[in-house]
Amino acid sequence: MLTVPEKHAQPKGSRAGAQGADGLSLIAKGDAGIDNMQLSQGACTILFHPIFLERTDTMKHILSVVALALASALPVAAQTKPTEINMWMGLTGQGGELLSRFGEDFNKSQSEYRVIVSFKGQYPEQRAAAVAAFRAGNPPHIMQMFDAGSGDMMHAKGAVVPVSEVFKRAGLQFNPADFIPPARGYYGLPNGDLLSMPFNVSTTVLFYNKDAFRKAGLDAEKPPQTWPQLIEAAKKLRSTNAAACGYTTTWMAWVMLEQFSSRHNIAFGSKGNGRSGVDASLTIANNPVLAKQLQTLVDLQKDKSFDYGGRSNDAAAKFISGECAMLTQSSGGLGAIRQGAKFEFGTAQLPYWPEVKGAPFATTIGGASLWVFNAPNRSPAEFRGVAQFLNFLKSDKVMTEWAKTTGFLPATNTAFKAMQDEGFFKTNPGRDVPILSLLEGAKGDNTNGYRFGRWTEIRDVFHEELEKALQGNQSVQDALRNTERRGNALLRAFERTAS
Amino acid sequence: MQRRVIFPQRALPLLLLAPQLLITLVFFFWPGGQALYMSVLQQDAFGTSVRFVGLENFAQVFADEDYLQAFWRTLYFSLAVTVLAMVPALLLAAMADRVVRGATGYTTAMLVPYAIAPAVAGVLWYFMFNPSIGVLAWWLKAMGVDWNPTLDGSDAMWLVIFASAWKQVAYNFLFFLAGLQSIPKSLLEAAAIDGARPLRRFWTIVFPLLSPTTFFLLVVGVVYAFFDTFGVISAITQGGPATATETLVYKVYKDGVHNLDLGSSAAQSVVLMVMVIGLTVLQFRFVERRVHYN
Repeated sequence: MLTVPEKHAQPKGSRAGAQGADGLSLIAKGDAGIDNMQLSQGACTILFHPIFLERTDTMKHILSVVALALASALPVAAQTKPTEINMWMGLTGQGGELLSRFGEDFNKSQSEYRVIVSFKGQYPEQRAAAVAAFRAGNPPHIMQMFDAGSGDMMHAKGAVVPVSEVFKRAGLQFNPADFIPPARGYYGLPNGDLLSMPFNVSTTVLFYNKDAFRKAGLDAEKPPQTWPQLIEAAKKLRSTNAAACGYTTTWMAWVMLEQFSSRHNIAFGSKGNGRSGVDASLTIANNPVLAKQLQTLVDLQKDKSFDYGGRSNDAAAKFISGECAMLTQSSGGLGAIRQGAKFEFGTAQLPYWPEVKGAPFATTIGGASLWVFNAPNRSPAEFRGVAQFLNFLKSDKVMTEWAKTTGFLPATNTAFKAMQDEGFFKTNPGRDVPILSLLEGAKGDNTNGYRFGRWTEIRDVFHEELEKALQGNQSVQDALRNTERRGNALLRAFERTAS
Repeated sequence: MQRRVIFPQRALPLLLLAPQLLITLVFFFWPGGQALYMSVLQQDAFGTSVRFVGLENFAQVFADEDYLQAFWRTLYFSLAVTVLAMVPALLLAAMADRVVRGATGYTTAMLVPYAIAPAVAGVLWYFMFNPSIGVLAWWLKAMGVDWNPTLDGSDAMWLVIFASAWKQVAYNFLFFLAGLQSIPKSLLEAAAIDGARPLRRFWTIVFPLLSPTTFFLLVVGVVYAFFDTFGVISAITQGGPATATETLVYKVYKDGVHNLDLGSSAAQSVVLMVMVIGLTVLQFRFVERRVHYN
């Protein structure tokens, strides 16, 4: 059942909208019916009424002073109520706390706007709540939407305002070229504008347990770089029993379908992975490299050289507890590993198959970006506040602190350069792995990400079919065929609603 | 003998009923009406393009292979949960009935699982049986069981069945205990005098006299397994692996909230509503006709 958050259950069309419906805020907004001049005029009319002015001159003098004082005090008292901006985020733990703190920092730095950052559940629940809020006419001003939801957001006509447009309306400078090229490509429109603002950008990295490597007789300073090397390491870890399982992965579809395809510059859909048309289709049934990868996983599952850990983030627990010695994970998962792992661990780039020509190509981004919602009762002042807050978030100071504390990358070029200049990557080896994996890898036609509608559903179809293959209930080829067939049915349904 | 309460005017009874009626209207009729309305529309998530499509959503739902599999899976799941929740409850109620001292203590202890929210119960069982970090999972592995609910569908199914049944045992226990205590002791004593052994006394006297309770609990149990187990499944397996624990109610949630396919989700919930109305009608008609009363 979709629920509308209590704070936002306001009647549609009311001008008070996201703020309280009290008169003071109407005055503070400045574009309401009454304005401060009229208020002062009203006050003066009452105070300078002939009944009072019949008294002496001193009385007149006192009264005029009082009237002026009142007239000037009232607007000041009314104007200190700041415009509220609501931002919903889907991060928990360290990332969520830091983002909330950024909101507080912004509020302290100025008094015109007040940002309220709230956690509305993990990305799928948050998205459903945002959809419900939008239908009720009162969505949040800013929402953090994960990468897979971009296709749905893009095709929602009139539901979002491109972030470039938001900055332009507010008269603030905004240059998409500030952001690192992979992020710009992923969230950009054909004309170069940005739809949403990249914020917590991540990519896939390989974390490995150095202690377990040493126990298995492997070189802890030389992590596997190719899949054959990883397979060998996993088998050695199992045969020496240095770990209960060699390798596992989180975010199965993101890593094994999306990132894997980018790493080898293989398309998994037509029309530039859906970027140039809503009539694109999946093309994974005839993908020998992907089939080989999935077959490898199925084979390795038999002796726990690979152990399936679930569709989303659950497998991280397998690595942190020491059960599995290697983990492909979002770079944003670093925080939890640092906090929980009781062993020395290292970071490496996502492995690749050396026989694929030109590999390793760049990985693509994951994580989320910030989208600005449109609503009938949004005022220009609110959009200005949104632009100011987004501008604050993309500043070097915020971006560098964000990248340094969490495992997410610096999303802007200047922030990355600032971190390089201050030697952060020298004192923290391994922290540059994610961004290098994005920037160092070769660029190809299929390293720019994808844009499909109903992608969370299609990811789950991939998960279901792959799980059946891992259980031994169907062949890998059938899994790919079924995923393509079911995924395309969903894409055609999406195409119908998008046109 | 029926007692009737007569109110002098119409205003007071309506006023007394008003809060309950309001809650029923807002939390039951309104969402139900909304579901009926959305089930005949096809729309994108944000509601910017809405089309009336008649019964097309229903046709698609019934033609969907996944839906039919979910239907059989749900029947299997509810049967297992209901039986597993009723048999131990009857056993425990029979034992509690014989206890003279400390009966209240045992009853209170038995009630605790019922007081726990489904999602909380789900999380508890998830942690205990998590193959990496779970206490009971460790025991299972020590006993040589290859326990892996993340990948093995039947492991996952049994986990949610046990977690759901565990919660419902308390409810059944209470009703069975009340039912047992309402059986006149004179009947059992007469049978004992005639030489009937305890087990025979149970099957020929106690069980038939418990039949209204049993039937009531059966229907309530099936409705519980159909709907209230959502929290448990959501917390433990999220319908996986490979849809092994995706019951009809979870599918409604997944299609509606995760996949934002509102038309299909609404159609599925209308179908579920019809099913539970049918079950309830069945229960009312049978309770009046076939079961024994004293």
